[in-house]
Formats: sequence, structure tokens, C-alpha cells
Amino acid sequence: MNTTLNKTLRLTGLALAGLMSFSVQANQAKQLQVDNPFVREMPPVAPATAAFMTLINAGDQPIAVVRADSDAAKTVELHTHIDDNGVMRMREIPEISVPAIGQTELKPGGLHVMLIGPTRALTEGDIVDIKLIMQDGSEKMIQAPVRKIMGMGMNRPAGSGQGMMHKHH
Amino acid sequence: MPQHKLNRSFLLLTLAFGVFLAGSYALIYVLKPTSDTHPSANRISLESPPGGDFTLTSPNGEVSLSDFKGKLVLIYFGYTFCPDICPTNLGNLSVAYRQISQSQRDNLVILFISVDPERDSPQRLQQYADYFDSNIIGLTSTPEVIAEVARRYGAVYERVDDGSENYAVDHSAFTYVVDQNGVLREQLPHTHGPEQFLDVINRYLN
Repeated sequence: MNTTLNKTLRLTGLALAGLMSFSVQANQAKQLQVDNPFVREMPPVAPATAAFMTLINAGDQPIAVVRADSDAAKTVELHTHIDDNGVMRMREIPEISVPAIGQTELKPGGLHVMLIGPTRALTEGDIVDIKLIMQDGSEKMIQAPVRKIMGMGMNRPAGSGQGMMHKHH
Repeated sequence: MPQHKLNRSFLLLTLAFGVFLAGSYALIYVLKPTSDTHPSANRISLESPPGGDFTLTSPNGEVSLSDFKGKLVLIYFGYTFCPDICPTNLGNLSVAYRQISQSQRDNLVILFISVDPERDSPQRLQQYADYFDSNIIGLTSTPEVIAEVARRYGAVYERVDDGSENYAVDHSAFTYVVDQNGVLREQLPHTHGPEQFLDVINRYLN
């Protein structure tokens, strides 16, 4: 009984190791490009803020971000907004998917990474490390500068370098 | 919205005004959300909210709408735990504010009314409002008074009880335009950017 169990465990371990080495070669994190990440500076009393970015998937398979982590906040959640007849409902969601050869935009009024309970004052100029965790367990670290953003949502903030203007506003 | 509720609303609307007031007031308390499907959004279509005077609390004492007779008043209902919608709205307003003349500023008041009076103290609200540097006045009151004022302006809000201290409050994100005579004239949607706010201000203050 015991030997069977050991054997099973060993095999499982080997299988896992094999899978892991394979996933290093072609994992979701490697397929994902993150464009223009930033965190919104908030009033000092605000207990939460949000990170925005454009997720670009160059691969031919869809990617799902299932979790995010950051040392800049006690709790990090993936959120979306639903505009329900003018009532803005914010909801936590289990994943943010990025279609194959496509992109998903995290922007004000829509998808965002919510940073709840900042562990330090997040002010303009600060850089926030955010770890994105994919469905396959692979991880991507990004650095999102804190920006003072007034009247955003109409166009991309200044200094965003690459990317085109979005016409859907 | 189920048919019987529609009928009920229709009946309510056709009843005497006093009964209607009492009915809507009761609705706010009766229709406590139990799941993700809220009936609240339907309450937004109160055809033309009457608006009217109110008295709420700021860190410097009581403030009434009637204090601002002769000025254009923009009213936004939100809360300080709001991570995205409120700062976007107030940010857009503040961008517009930076582009108006001094005499327009002298004749404009922006009010930020809390829909989360349990957590938003007057001080906390004012600190939040001050960040936007547009002379925004933060106002709160008891939950009952807030509910009554929101109802008269057609603003709806609903606490999303997820058991955490960081609960969200779903709320309608309109900016209400009250003219120099204290009359509620327009509600501007959340999608309004700085330019559109600017147009509105210029229309009332030229």
C-alpha cells in the first residue's frame, strides 16, 4: 500500500516537474505584454485605488489573468464595472481574459486591478510593483507608476509612449 | 422588473402626491438588495425628480442649497471609499473648473454628497473633496436625510454587503445641475468629460 502511494507520489512529482519545465518554455505570462500600466493617485483619505493598463496577447491562445498581488496594498482584487441604467456597480471578477492575438484594456469605469488598503501613501512618482498571476500559474511582474490623473478616461495620459488613441469614446 | 412591480409603481404614480412620496420613501427601505439583481436601477427613471432645498452637514456646520441662491450648483452623489467612478467624475469636474474664469468660479458651487454616511464623516469627506482643488464642498447627514435628498434628486445608491469593511456602494453617477434659482434643471451622465462639463457651465454662466 505504502509503496504504491510512494510510487504515485513520485510519478505525480515527476509529471509536475515535467509540466513546469514545459510551461517555462511557453507560458501565458510570456505571451502577455503589458502596455502603459499606471496607478491612480487618490486623495490621502481614500482607502482604495485602482491600477489600469492594456493587456496585449501576442499568442494564438487566449490568456486569463486570475489574480494580482502587490506589496503596496493589503488586498488586491480584479474588478469590473457594470453600468446598470446609470447605476455604476463595481464587482469582483474571477479573471480578466485576453483574447488570442488581441488585447484587453483596463481603464476607468471598466476593468481594473483594485488596490485596497494601501500599505504606504501612493503619490505621484511612486512606482507600484504588481504581480499578475495567469491561469497556468505563470507570473508577470509589472511596475506601474502612480499618476495624478484628472479627467481621465477621455484619452491616454500624457507620456504613454506607444499605442494608438482609442476612438471608442 | 416583474410585471407586478411595474403595476405597483404605476399605481403609486397615479395615487395622490402625498401617498406617492410615502411610497417611494418606503421603497428605498423595502427594496434592500439580496443578490446581484437589484431593482434599484429602475428607481432612477423617476421622470422628473423635483429636487428642491436641503440642509446637510459640512465640517463647518450646516449647509443648505438655498445658501447658494444666485449661483450655479453642481451636485454629485458619491463616497470616499469609491476607488474609480467618483474620482473620475470629480476629476473631470476639476479639469473643467481649471478652465473657467474667476467670475465663473465665483458663481459656481460644486457639492459632493455622501451616499455612505456611516463611513464618511464630514471631515473625511471634505479632505477627499479638497484633493480636487475645485472648492468642492463635502456634505453628509444621517442615513435618513441622505436617502430623502437622494430620492428627490433621482439619485439611487445601494450598499453591497459582502461582509467586509471595504464594502462598495453601488450608486448612480449623475451630476445634477441646479440653476441660480435653485431649480434642478439637468442630470449629466457619468460619461461626461471635462469639455462637456465646461459647455454646461458656460451655458448657465456666460
